[in-house]
Amino acid sequence: MKNVILRNIENPSSHRIEEYIKAGGYFAIEHALNEMTPRDIIDDIKKSGLRGRGGAGFLTGTKWQFASLDPKFPKYIVCNADEGEPGTFKDRVILERNPHQLIEGMVIAAYALQSVRGYIYVRAEYPQAEKILNEAIKEAYEKGFLGNDIMSKHFRFHLSVHRGAGAYICGEETALINSLEGRRGEPRIKPPFPVNAGAWAKPTIVNNVETFANIPYIIETSPKAYSFLGTKDSPGTKLFCVSGAVNNPGVYELAFGTPLREIIYDHCGGIRGGRALKGVIPGGLSTSILTPDKIDCPMDFASLAKHGSMLGSGAIIVLDDTMCIVKIYERAMRFFEHESCGKCTPCREGTGWMRTILGRIEDGMADMEDLATLEDVALNVAGKTFCPLGDGAAHVLLSAMKHYRGEFEYHVKYKKCEVTDPSHRWGHLSMGELD
Amino acid sequence: MVKLTINGQEVEAGRDSSILDAAKSVGIIIPTLCHLKGLEPYGGCRMCLVEIERVSRLQTACTTKVNEGMAVFTETEQINKARRAMLEFLLINHPLDCPVCDKAGECLLQDYAARFGGSEGRFAEGKRTHPENVNDPFIVRNMQRCILCARCTRMCGEAQGAYAIAVTGRGAHSFVEPFSGDKYNCEYCGNCLTVCPVGAIMSRLHRHSYRPWYVEKEVETVCGFCGVGCTTHLQMRAATIIRTLPKLGTGVNKGLLCVRGRFGYDYVESEGRLKTPMIRVNGVLEPASWEKALAYITTHLKDIKLKHTSKAIGALASGMCSNEDNYMLQKLIRFVIGSNNIDSTARLYYAPAKAYIEKIFGAAATANAISDIEKSDGIFVAGGDPTAINPVLGVQIRAAWRRGAKVVVSGQPGGLGNFINYDLNSVPRHEETVLNTIVIGLAEMKGYSGKNSYIETKIKALRVPCEPELRATGVLLENMEEAVDDLSGLKNPVVVIGPALLQSGIPSKNLFLVAAIAYLIDARVYLLSRKANYRGLIDMGCVPESIPGGLPVRPGQLRLKNGVAMSVPSEKGMNLFEMIEGACNGSLKALYVMGENPIFNLPDREKTEKAMSSLDLLVVQDIFMTETARHAHVVLPAAAWSEKDGTMTNLGGRIQFLRKGSDVPTGRSEWRVIAEIARALGMSETYADSKEVWEEMTQVSVLHSASEYEDIKKGGLMWPYGSVQFQGGAEDFGVEGLEILPAVHHHSSQCSTEPCKLSLLPERSLFHSGSTTRKSKAILSVSPEPYLAINPIEAGRLGLRNDDTVRVKTAKGSAVVTVKIVIDCPEGTVMLSNTFEKVNFNALTGYSVDPVLGCMVLTDNEVNIEKL
Amino acid sequence: MDNTIGAAGGAATGVAATDMAAGDKSRRLKDKIKVLKKLYPHTRSVLLPALYAAQELYGWLGEDALEAVSRLTGVPSAEVKGVVTFYSLYKTRPMGRNVIYLCTNVACFIMGANTLEEFLEKTYGLSHGETTADGRFSLVIMECIGACDKAPAMLVNDDCHFNLTIDNIKAILDNYK
Ligand SMILES: Cc1cc2nc3c(=O)[nH]c(=O)nc-3n(C[C@H](O)[C@H](O)[C@H](O)COP(=O)(O)O)c2cc1C
Ligand code: SF4
Ligand code: FES
Repeated sequence: MKNVILRNIENPSSHRIEEYIKAGGYFAIEHALNEMTPRDIIDDIKKSGLRGRGGAGFLTGTKWQFASLDPKFPKYIVCNADEGEPGTFKDRVILERNPHQLIEGMVIAAYALQSVRGYIYVRAEYPQAEKILNEAIKEAYEKGFLGNDIMSKHFRFHLSVHRGAGAYICGEETALINSLEGRRGEPRIKPPFPVNAGAWAKPTIVNNVETFANIPYIIETSPKAYSFLGTKDSPGTKLFCVSGAVNNPGVYELAFGTPLREIIYDHCGGIRGGRALKGVIPGGLSTSILTPDKIDCPMDFASLAKHGSMLGSGAIIVLDDTMCIVKIYERAMRFFEHESCGKCTPCREGTGWMRTILGRIEDGMADMEDLATLEDVALNVAGKTFCPLGDGAAHVLLSAMKHYRGEFEYHVKYKKCEVTDPSHRWGHLSMGELD
Repeated sequence: MVKLTINGQEVEAGRDSSILDAAKSVGIIIPTLCHLKGLEPYGGCRMCLVEIERVSRLQTACTTKVNEGMAVFTETEQINKARRAMLEFLLINHPLDCPVCDKAGECLLQDYAARFGGSEGRFAEGKRTHPENVNDPFIVRNMQRCILCARCTRMCGEAQGAYAIAVTGRGAHSFVEPFSGDKYNCEYCGNCLTVCPVGAIMSRLHRHSYRPWYVEKEVETVCGFCGVGCTTHLQMRAATIIRTLPKLGTGVNKGLLCVRGRFGYDYVESEGRLKTPMIRVNGVLEPASWEKALAYITTHLKDIKLKHTSKAIGALASGMCSNEDNYMLQKLIRFVIGSNNIDSTARLYYAPAKAYIEKIFGAAATANAISDIEKSDGIFVAGGDPTAINPVLGVQIRAAWRRGAKVVVSGQPGGLGNFINYDLNSVPRHEETVLNTIVIGLAEMKGYSGKNSYIETKIKALRVPCEPELRATGVLLENMEEAVDDLSGLKNPVVVIGPALLQSGIPSKNLFLVAAIAYLIDARVYLLSRKANYRGLIDMGCVPESIPGGLPVRPGQLRLKNGVAMSVPSEKGMNLFEMIEGACNGSLKALYVMGENPIFNLPDREKTEKAMSSLDLLVVQDIFMTETARHAHVVLPAAAWSEKDGTMTNLGGRIQFLRKGSDVPTGRSEWRVIAEIARALGMSETYADSKEVWEEMTQVSVLHSASEYEDIKKGGLMWPYGSVQFQGGAEDFGVEGLEILPAVHHHSSQCSTEPCKLSLLPERSLFHSGSTTRKSKAILSVSPEPYLAINPIEAGRLGLRNDDTVRVKTAKGSAVVTVKIVIDCPEGTVMLSNTFEKVNFNALTGYSVDPVLGCMVLTDNEVNIEKL
Repeated sequence: MDNTIGAAGGAATGVAATDMAAGDKSRRLKDKIKVLKKLYPHTRSVLLPALYAAQELYGWLGEDALEAVSRLTGVPSAEVKGVVTFYSLYKTRPMGRNVIYLCTNVACFIMGANTLEEFLEKTYGLSHGETTADGRFSLVIMECIGACDKAPAMLVNDDCHFNLTIDNIKAILDNYK
């Protein structure tokens, strides 16, 4: 399999600019600045069919084109490195091991949009990544890939890191922009979209780290070579981050369309302890759970949508048969409750309510009516929130309740868990060792 | 325009309008909680969800724009369920304490729950709790009830520009609080509590004493506290004001009020209100009947007129009283008694400034709609903090700034602090140099239009300040230059002039310089006016030099419709200062003081006191036993602001209706009493109500001759009141010291060796406006004590700290007061407000009269401060 | 909680925050903010980095620090408070010398993070948001910190620690004094 993002990853110094250049890095900038007009670049990105890796899978070329058609200047380039979707750790690998590829992608984007200022919004939970990134930016300035006269082409672009402060919602692009502007990270009303009125009300593109990291490859090869990878609907490769009950968790760069089975059983060495598969959360905690019968689903945008879930950030969380769905979704709901920004009614009030009912089910303090209430509350949240956070929280719960109904009912009826006995401790530790 | 259908009904709406507005235009009401007209759409509460054909998700009507051919549904089963759901969500954490909630009955959540909500709650978990906060003087916060619609914080920021409260925390733990987490420490405009749809932010004044159905009557009137003339509604139960309430979007204030207007009205019900007339018998004021009191006044007036001629009789009109009151007083003095001795405290600053500006530019110059300020693209402010003197006007300056207008301030920025582009605050006494520099800069940039040769000649005569003179101002030259650049590019400029401009340096020079700025950039001029009806009283002829309508006093006959003739006296009248002088030297024998307190409100208290006690007849008509009333021979109780029917004219020239909430307890308001006296002295007319007074006035005044009473009733009448106006203006005018600049003055070096001389200036506080607010319990709860405001640097020099007690001593007197260190207070000055009985600013200073303007100039205000 | 601890301990950055005079702190903050302002087209945007700078100088973000930030950035103090409390990683109260950020989100949770939480409670008496009596550790329970493949994971100050077990966590923490 071809590595687009993780090429050179074996090299322990891959984050240094010399190593990156040695492996062919920063060639794409040179090519772009010398031989391409901004418009050519946008056309190429459009032709490549590159889709955003932040979750929604929006066509990157189209996004850039919208921003470039807006007559307002200056324009801003923002990299979304807020990677907060539980289960996701792919952007971290790029930030820590291949930061120059991200920087190169952003400079090309800047040239395409004639932007002079960019920001990388890094979550506060990644201090190492921030350090390495700052170092890399310094290196890029020294080598003239950033600054006032990039590669002596009279092209100016400045880049700096903006550190988040612990808020998942700031991964949502308009919340991120608010946070960049020094405000509470609440999402904004759309339209206007960031491409027309983003940071400081100027045209702004917000792209995921992985999205930007794909750009140099497309420019240095060709849109065609790129779309040759992956599937028609989802060209290129994808970083899948696998965690949970597998033998070899980690980040894997694979072509779009690789079947889930292959990822879990071939690349990740199968289920830990040879246990049975219970379910897979395929794209981060905000995507609906897949039951084992969907194991042959190809991992691309269209196929997952067909199977009632989403590719999301490509974070695969594998659950085995010792794990309690109620407990997991209670924990998940705690996350959504904690991260709800509080702006809109259903998310602010609904996530907490769902979490408390789930807690009572888990504790054996609920009856069937509570189960009905839970479902109705989730339905009342779904589709009515200001942004996708609250919506996602409700949908993932609804899908879990649909597919694992029996388990929920067992909890209610027998006041205990069907799969784990009360003394069972999660993970590979037992409380006995504590004393 | 786009066409769409809502519930099958065809609707046409503007391209930019929201579904919500489009629906409203055809009478389809969509429930909303977070939406508030005038604020940016928010989309948080999700109450307004609607269905749109071919759109899979429900959309919020408040944030979604209309589209051609859109089909919207607002009453489907899905929407009913969504509304029920949102209400259920809001109620899970909302305490169901409606019986003890002051909002019950006018709570949106309660209304919606009744109309759209479910019949039972399914929430079985514990509610979020948050203790009620009652530590604030005006505001009770009960954040358990908060539904996080953010109306209050948006109002506070977007509309008021105070940014005193914010949503803090995140998710379900969010709530609204000020920085301190406890007291607001803000401007206390109270606009947050008007917009709170539930009982989360409430007024403390009527805590647990208010229910909406207690309101027996609601009247729309104008606020009587300052010259802005905000529209407000009095909610009455019997004769008590339950509360004052602005209505969003109405009046010059568009629904905003300031602390005085919203909370300060309770002085009206103060214990200290005068209840009966009083006559001095053997040196003591004793209660008397109206008949006796009026008989006393008429006999004495007749006597004095006989003995000393009408020249010896004068009156002081009031900026707190209505046009009708003031007209009637003027009629008594001028047309019945036959003297031009009528003036008011507008003489201190407002009247001379207005006259001077109008002399240069014509009568239209100062008549401008206040609500236009926020549409301006640049505002030059000199002579005082508008957000304290005329708060709602100040708020409009902030709003303009937020829309991108350039704000340039010469003098103390005060509450405009965060809303200015150029702060040209010079060291004291050098403001003139800064203004001079700007005028010269603008003249260079803009050139001369040739419209007014008088002013142009004078501008050309100005001397260009030299480098050390500029340095002495403490303002950076680049700053002045950039301000000039910006000012010269304005399309719709505004100049705001406040009282401090005439207070230091040479008044006519300062005013001329600011007028020159207005001339060069072609700006509209606003004169700040502390009192509600200064402009009105001038228009009513309560100045010695002109009759009602502003025509100069020219002896002759004025003929009314009914054939009655009134003659204008020929003798030149005395102004305020001359009357004080006249009382002292015996040329003035009788003074009728209506709603004014000269002993307290004029500097050199000793002299004013002497003047008042030298009179043969002093009549004081007031609502309180003021310092002046204590010297009176006859005291007459008056009607308070909420007890008057009539009209008032705001500082921009808008005539508005003043409506009474209750009757005056003593039965007679000012103009009626004065009319009775006038009839006893020979006046033939009678008046059934204030409308008849107004109508007579319109026959006397050319300015008002075409005004329609009914139009005022409808919502205010803007200058020139339907008539074609005499322009006036472009007259020559005097300026003192045109070519001189203030001497370079080494303030700080001087101070290190000898004890420095500080100047004492009046502090114009947001919270107080003199004799009324000191009787308001509400206002006193936030600003209870006088204090001496001092700049931190001066405080450091004198070794003073907050709350130290000091003796302030001037040539005129001394007072003991506590110290408050205020960054905004300029170096070299200390400030004291003129509010509290025990510390009277005016008892500490003297005054002289400016020879050109005839305004007051403070003197004897060098202070020594001694720490006790 | 003992208020003196965190203040004396300063942040993980090791600046003895209280040794500095108040004026000194605000002067240094002013200098830092001046540099930050160059990075953004509008002053307001420096707020998040300025808060970090203040946190470093003052040890934690108490009223004085927030007021200093408000003064130096021109953002009204109530709004500063609104912003700082929105985010969960600013130190809005004094914290210990070392802060443990323990992830307990789903991936770590299914790998036993809650056992570690109990361990910290038992061994150090630490629960979410609290500080040990000796001021050595504070604990912050985290949502996902992006180390799910090496779960359970935690950050101690700026260092990442992976594949935690009850056996190795004690040894790791012993390195933080
Ligand atoms: C609640 C929420 C959280 C999100 N978190 C992230 C994130 O952590 N990282 C990310 O790149 N995009 C995230 N997104 C998606 C962004 O809003 C945006 O779509 C993305 O940054 C666009 O980049 P792309 O086009 O390159 O995918 C999130 C969206 C939502 C609604
Ligand atoms: S769904 Fe609503 S409350 Fe939840 S994060 Fe989005 S805007 Fe905030
Ligand atoms: S009124 Fe539309 S969301 Fe609140």
